Amino acid sequence: MSGTNSEVVLSVKELEVTFRKGRQRVSAVAGISFDIYEGETLGLVGESGCGKSTTGRALMQIVPSTGGQIFVDGAELTSLNKKESRSLRRKMQMIFQDPISSLNPRRRVKDIIAEPLDCWKSAKGAERDAIVFDLLNKVGIDPGVYGNRYARQFSGGQCQRISIARSLAMRPRLLICDEVVSALDVSIQAQILNLLEDLKKEYGLTMLFIAHDLAVVKNISDRVAVMYLGKLCEIGPSDSLYAQPAHPYTSFLLGAALEADPELEQNRATLGGEPPSPLNPPSGCRFRTRCPYATEKCAAEEPQLRDIGSGHQVACHFPLVGSDQ
Amino acid sequence: MSPATNPNNLATSDDLLVVEDLTTTFNTPRGPLTAVGGVSFRLGRNETLGVVGESGSGKTVLSRTIMGLQPRSNVEVGGSVLLDGHQIVDATDDDLRGIWGTTVAMIFQDPMTSLNPVTKIGKQIGESLRVRLGMSKDEAKARAIELLTLVGIPSPEERYEAYPTQLSGGMRQRVMIAIALACNPTLLLADEPTTGLDVTIQAQILNLLDELQLKMKMSVILVTHDLGVVATRTDRIIVMYAGRVVEMGLTKDVFKNHRMPYTRALLESTPRVSNPSHTRLQTIPGRPPNLLKLTQGCAFAPRCNRATARCTEETPALEPTGTEGHYFACWNPIDSQDEKVTNGGQSTKEFGEDNVRN
Repeated sequence: MSGTNSEVVLSVKELEVTFRKGRQRVSAVAGISFDIYEGETLGLVGESGCGKSTTGRALMQIVPSTGGQIFVDGAELTSLNKKESRSLRRKMQMIFQDPISSLNPRRRVKDIIAEPLDCWKSAKGAERDAIVFDLLNKVGIDPGVYGNRYARQFSGGQCQRISIARSLAMRPRLLICDEVVSALDVSIQAQILNLLEDLKKEYGLTMLFIAHDLAVVKNISDRVAVMYLGKLCEIGPSDSLYAQPAHPYTSFLLGAALEADPELEQNRATLGGEPPSPLNPPSGCRFRTRCPYATEKCAAEEPQLRDIGSGHQVACHFPLVGSDQ
Repeated sequence: MSPATNPNNLATSDDLLVVEDLTTTFNTPRGPLTAVGGVSFRLGRNETLGVVGESGSGKTVLSRTIMGLQPRSNVEVGGSVLLDGHQIVDATDDDLRGIWGTTVAMIFQDPMTSLNPVTKIGKQIGESLRVRLGMSKDEAKARAIELLTLVGIPSPEERYEAYPTQLSGGMRQRVMIAIALACNPTLLLADEPTTGLDVTIQAQILNLLDELQLKMKMSVILVTHDLGVVATRTDRIIVMYAGRVVEMGLTKDVFKNHRMPYTRALLESTPRVSNPSHTRLQTIPGRPPNLLKLTQGCAFAPRCNRATARCTEETPALEPTGTEGHYFACWNPIDSQDEKVTNGGQSTKEFGEDNVRN
């Protein structure tokens, strides 16, 4: 599937997350499968409510998955007991969207970063301080000056740097970033994206980068997966997926993204309507209600992800490219 | 000096809005904070002006001041805002009430907190119709349903009875637009109208605004941090930094031939769909200045790689570039002929010629 022969760090098989709402059931994630290879960044894009954040949270078991399997370095996460699962999750860390509310306002920055170390009792005293000092330096915050300050004294961008430092304290294999730059200004966003790229190289991280901003996701990802209403539409190498989207939804999503260039021909063919309620998803292909190419087959039969060459997979009966392959 | 008095400015004497040397200062416990510091510009009829800047650059305060929404206590507004013959700066509440809705209307960023959660949306749309235009209940209802149809809300008769919580974010923003347009304003101020909406919904809302602008012959001021939005939906742009205009001009000139280093930095730090993945982004070191501690000189100087001693001593004023209507405030401007935007990958040559004179 991927061009590289490297090891699979995270393998997700038919992951499902269903929430109960009274007597109703909302299937936020309705059976998705993907692999992330060592050293790779997989981008996960989609509009609000498509289940991308729930996917990230289910991987961390912050919300329980209701079906499917999650393999981390070959070990299956969902079948483990609480203690084993907690131990396995040391290999995974997550960074959240709102940098300010994800840090405890009453604790000093150095203690926030050391919290994972204290929790796992993996470092004490001088060693602990040295790790914290090093991490703060790595994320571009002067530990001598700022280490004793409180999180509330920092700006959003700096708080996100602190969150990143904290997530690296346990030397994770896999970093899950959920909309980590969407609350930041462009100039700060660029700093954080570059920082993540640098740290990824330095720490040999594998990343799942969840975001709604298509340009941001393309910038940081090796491969991109597109989600719609709890399902994966398409997954493939970033450059080829953006150049030749195979799923009609991806194509509309890219068409709606505004490029900061007034000379560029903008695609005005917008997607009508809004995503249907996940309480009552359409039969067959979930995108068919908004898809201009939908036929009876789309209503009757759910399209499965299938290969269309060079690591590109699409779940559509009538893909825009590679239909004959 | 001021662009508004410059004969080269694109706008004509028939301008809808003339803003001259506008300052908005908040008296805070920690001292005066000048959120808008001496902004001058003109806006023609049917024109769309984009106001771009990062958070804290004063773009929202600017639009609220133009609207006359700043509270009187603890805020000092100086300069002049002449809107269709009305002076906004020293207008009384009664004067403003006569202008709001009919001459100028505003769409706010967050439709959930701007709508009243316990009032049906139909009534919220009808409110200004009844108060400003003196319509009867039935007339207002008919017009509200018409407006809901205009902004593309399906089954408007049923939606008339809906509460804001029953609508999605995109639908709520459409309701906000309907409220703003109810009394046919000549100027629409849209403050981050699509921030927080999904891209496909954003495209729908922006297309709708375009369409309505044509239909209703409005001028629009689009305040946003999103360079993609301004690039595609505006005629002219104002770039703000620390409460001041640092560059202003036709959208294509500002994007292609920007002279102010901040404009370039902003453009280069924006990730683009058209660039290959893992393109290294240019970053601006540091962060925006604290407006309480603004010192003499260019506010961008501490983050600028072209800064010289002069930049920290003297505040640069807006200078014309030679291209009509294009101004910048910088002592060491970028020469558009020699240097090109690297991130966009496009050559700036074709527009460079008329620009090198000053």
